[in-house]
Amino acid sequence: MKNHNSILLILLFFTLEVFTQTSPKLIVTRDHLIIKKSRITTDKLIVYRGEISNTAIPSSTHILGKVVEEKETIRFSPVIPFGWNQKYTLVYGAIIEYFEITLPEKYEYLSVKAVYPSIKNLPSNLLKWYFRFSKPINESNVYDHIRFTDETGDTLTRVILPLNNILISDNGLLLTVWIEPGRQKRGLIPNQQLGTVFEEGKEYSLIISKSLKDQEGIPMLEDYIHQFKVVKADRKQPNIDSWKIHIPTVGTTSNLMIHFNEESMDYGSTLNSIMIKDSEKNEITGNLKLINNETTLVFTPSHPWKKGNYHISIDAGLEDLAGNNLNRLFDSEIKNTETTNLNFTMRTLSFSIKETP
Amino acid sequence: MKTLITLVLSLILSFTASLVKADSSLKVNFVIGDPGITSINSMTFGPEGILFIGDSKSAQIIAIDLSEHPKVDNSKVNIDLLDKLIADMLGTATDQIQITDMVVNPENNNIYISVNHSSGTPVLLRVDGNNLKQISLAVVSHSKTSITDPIAIDAKDKRGRELRKWAVADIKYDSGKVLLSGLSNKEFASTFRAIDFPFTDKQNYGSLEIYHAAHGQYETHAPIKTFLATKIKGNPHIVAGYTCTPLVVLPMDKIKPGEHHKGRTVAELGSGNSPLDMIEIKNGEKRYLLIANTNRPLMKMDFTDLEAYEDAITTPVTKKGAAAGVAYVNLPYVNVLQLDKMGDAFLMIKREATGNLLLRTGNSWWFK
Repeated sequence: MKNHNSILLILLFFTLEVFTQTSPKLIVTRDHLIIKKSRITTDKLIVYRGEISNTAIPSSTHILGKVVEEKETIRFSPVIPFGWNQKYTLVYGAIIEYFEITLPEKYEYLSVKAVYPSIKNLPSNLLKWYFRFSKPINESNVYDHIRFTDETGDTLTRVILPLNNILISDNGLLLTVWIEPGRQKRGLIPNQQLGTVFEEGKEYSLIISKSLKDQEGIPMLEDYIHQFKVVKADRKQPNIDSWKIHIPTVGTTSNLMIHFNEESMDYGSTLNSIMIKDSEKNEITGNLKLINNETTLVFTPSHPWKKGNYHISIDAGLEDLAGNNLNRLFDSEIKNTETTNLNFTMRTLSFSIKETP
Repeated sequence: MKTLITLVLSLILSFTASLVKADSSLKVNFVIGDPGITSINSMTFGPEGILFIGDSKSAQIIAIDLSEHPKVDNSKVNIDLLDKLIADMLGTATDQIQITDMVVNPENNNIYISVNHSSGTPVLLRVDGNNLKQISLAVVSHSKTSITDPIAIDAKDKRGRELRKWAVADIKYDSGKVLLSGLSNKEFASTFRAIDFPFTDKQNYGSLEIYHAAHGQYETHAPIKTFLATKIKGNPHIVAGYTCTPLVVLPMDKIKPGEHHKGRTVAELGSGNSPLDMIEIKNGEKRYLLIANTNRPLMKMDFTDLEAYEDAITTPVTKKGAAAGVAYVNLPYVNVLQLDKMGDAFLMIKREATGNLLLRTGNSWWFK
């Protein structure tokens, strides 16, 4: 059994690229560190961040982690995985070892895959941005890495609503950023004193700085720059009666297309607010996606379409780029300040699929 | 005399019995194990050492039992370079961590700090002397409930679901209810929820939007950044601090499922500023509201003034950066990022002009 263990250890040494061997006695991965147990010390194994000199050790803070003593070895598992290209100091009895796990050459760097709204002409009262990343991002201090510049290259101030807890999807890939609503909404103090964030007729750049890191602490390779022009404010509610439906073919899984009368809709709100149902009001499963600068919704069913009547069920909370929904404008006047009903109503568009002609 | 002794004894016994009962009734659903916490966004203490954690990533509220931690005297706590200390403990850099909240258990003065690391790992730390200790969240006595969006379409498949997020902004416990404020990315709606505690399978929670027509003719329902459950003229109220600075009060009994209300704006705290944290400090009969801000010093408001103010601000504040409504004083503490009550004073995490992030107590002298 002892031989097997030794073979396993040797195999680990030579087969796993992520392993870094800094000393014949030391094996390090991002998740743990293994060292041969010493017979002459009963001291605890302690790890520090950085290269700590012998004299600085007593005043340094060691890393939290779990130490498990095995028959021949001691295993240290840090609470947070060891970082790439980060120096560490191991202290175990009289042993002081420095180690570092170098970033693999073929490391897949973080990048921005898409930005919504993707259309280049945006209303001056735009409310939200969505950023899709190639891999989960570092969620700490995200807003420090996002900025907007004007035509002269000056950075705009007070653009983003700084939420303590950012709005990020569970998989860490999709970030929602609110443009400060106080400035986008007519009548509020920030709006009156500072005006809207973006001015009609001007061009701007959205810059996601390369300083943004992934969850492993590695930054992007380059800045992501997205240019856009600002047009007139959108003060019209989306009108579903103007939408056009491209009806799919019976017996196929062809796409149902909903064209929003050439209006770009809010990415997150749209994907969450529309559902396709059969005549019995059962939801049809399938995949939704937005195309043509979010002016068209494409629904691909999981199963072939059958002949019959269908309903497109739309939550009245569905928003356009300026936060106007089917019930109200984003900054509409309050007519009744008494208690009002919260229940968002549903709106429905219907279509029929007939037998093949 | 004998009757008196019997009466006293029976009173003591019934008091003890009620304590035991209270304990068992609040923690009756608690189980020991891993609550599956994936983020710690906001925390608050309820009675009996129960810490409530708002976990946006897993869309859940977790109640964990921390009553076993011994009573401590943290009145002299003083930690410099707090972010560096935490980063060193986690073997990482300061830009890889975010201190998300700090709370004090009012029953034993233990201080807890929650940290989210860039790897997605949440860490809960307890102040021990002028040092920090990690609290394992892998095996704890806990109870939890989900906070899925009650007004969202109940999609059967997974499509689009990654988008639906509800980020907890603040969490408080009051009289058998866990109160939550937050913001969804689905629509611009400031929601406020009250969830019964102990949590039950059959959830009964209300969802609420609060209108505040503070600025002339336009309505807004901006997100509530921080709030407090308190009493105004003896009646339970919510005092809410909005992202765009108004301070709003709303009677608790108005919070009903499926309805939204217009809160009464009682103060404007100066534009360009956002409240961060809010606590109530008592000194005898006197009560004070303490508000930490992004771009203003720590504010002290006298509850007597708040209660006496029966108006609602309905006209815009025209003077740039000016405050209006209930008067307050600025205390000489700037860049207070986290705030909680400790004993008859307060505790804060504060950034100094030198960049030093420190954990320190505030003086109770301000309330005497």
